[in-house]
Amino acid sequence: LFLATLTYDTLRFEYEDFPETKEPVWILGRKYSVFTEKEEILLDVTSRLWFTYRKNFPAIGGTGPTSDTGWGCMLRCGQMIFAQALVCRHLGRDWRWIKGKRQVDNYFSVLNAFVDRKDSYYSIHQIAQMGVGEGKSIGQWYGPNTVAQVLKKLATFDTWSSLAVHIAMDNTVVMEEIRRLCQSNAPCAGAAACPAVESDGLYNGCPEEAGVRDRHSLWKPLVLLIPLRLGLTEINEAYIETLKHCFMMPQSLGVIGGKPNSAHYFIGYVGEELIYLDPHTTQPAVEPNDSGCLPDESFHCQHPPCRMSIAELDPSIAVGFFCNTEEDFNDWCQQIKKLSLVRAALPMFELVERQPSHFSNPDVLNLTPDSSDADRLERFFDSEDEDFEILSL
Amino acid sequence: ATRMHEVTEIRIKYPNKIPVVVERYQKEKTLPPLSRTKFLVAQDLPLSQFAVTLRTRLCLASSQTFYLLVNNKGLPNMAMTMQELYQDNKDEDGFLYLTYASQEMFG
Repeated sequence: LFLATLTYDTLRFEYEDFPETKEPVWILGRKYSVFTEKEEILLDVTSRLWFTYRKNFPAIGGTGPTSDTGWGCMLRCGQMIFAQALVCRHLGRDWRWIKGKRQVDNYFSVLNAFVDRKDSYYSIHQIAQMGVGEGKSIGQWYGPNTVAQVLKKLATFDTWSSLAVHIAMDNTVVMEEIRRLCQSNAPCAGAAACPAVESDGLYNGCPEEAGVRDRHSLWKPLVLLIPLRLGLTEINEAYIETLKHCFMMPQSLGVIGGKPNSAHYFIGYVGEELIYLDPHTTQPAVEPNDSGCLPDESFHCQHPPCRMSIAELDPSIAVGFFCNTEEDFNDWCQQIKKLSLVRAALPMFELVERQPSHFSNPDVLNLTPDSSDADRLERFFDSEDEDFEILSL
Repeated sequence: ATRMHEVTEIRIKYPNKIPVVVERYQKEKTLPPLSRTKFLVAQDLPLSQFAVTLRTRLCLASSQTFYLLVNNKGLPNMAMTMQELYQDNKDEDGFLYLTYASQEMFG
């Protein structure tokens, strides 16, 4: 969104600090008090990977755009939510980024997976080019589901993270499908490089580890993305409580969505406001320095995060969760079931044990109208010029 | 009033079918229009299966978003039957109104 970029770049508006409120601040499943934990809140926010528009990166596809200003905001939000999944996977939710402090290697491996180069797993180059398969030409705007679908495909090449990515369509989460996906003992091509056992020298690089791994590690870490539409032009307020609850779950990866036309990465809420990271600032692309190290300060938002009223949220969103273990997933299911019993909270999606049979087998659908019905209908409506279609299902 | 009349007659003729109008969201840019918008659907049909039928009609890939909103507001539980949905949400004129939409795009 070009106009927004101009405003953000040229005006550099003052970032408003958190309101003095006794309402708790929720950031990706963590609860904070504004009065006693302001530092911790800001440190948590700053520790998230912040991806913005960039300029002067290598041309996409060799001859394509060298900047994503004006079109890349949903792609950047997709990177942010996925980066949060990789942070949880490789560094943990408690990991914090401290300016100027030497970071662990895994941190740079995560960051490198997103830098603006054609060969990074989840670079803007990879996302834009993979999007062509989803019917999006390079430079076209994405929706939350578009970027989710693309990231799911790209994740299959990331054997280092070895994630199970599930996108729940039709506002329905099918537990059986997820268990099958996460327990699929696909030969972990990157098993040797798999860092799950990195700290244990014994197993390092040893393919036999698969035999010794306990049941718990046979579960592939799950990234669950649920694209939704919570209204037509504006969010149905009956969903607001449920949406807030998503940020309270320890498995929360936040939400990608936005205001109409401009995408944001929502990481939490306070009172009736959502807290988000905004990709609409164009920064120059970053290259590794002479010592091969990537200057990383521009990938962390070092001012208080933006806020907006929940009612302003565009209804098209995707909600994300990360379940590192099977226990995490079971716990998530329990929480969702409990939430569905809260009267004030209208479920945004359904959680079901298994897919109704017809879903997996669409061929059994008989799409031709029931002939006897059709005949009767014809007789009945001939004179009235009616246009009902009778489904015999 | 004509619609009410229409529903009354069709309900008499087909007491076991639910009259449904499926409309495309007026600002929808991705999903194609349906050739027919009025349906008579079996009462015990789950909404999920009706959605599959509509998805098939529109030739959608399973990775494309397709949401059915009831009364332009909410996403109904896909496991509900058409009868249940009708009971809770039918319009004054006797039709059940569903609107379909995909997702908005962001730059």
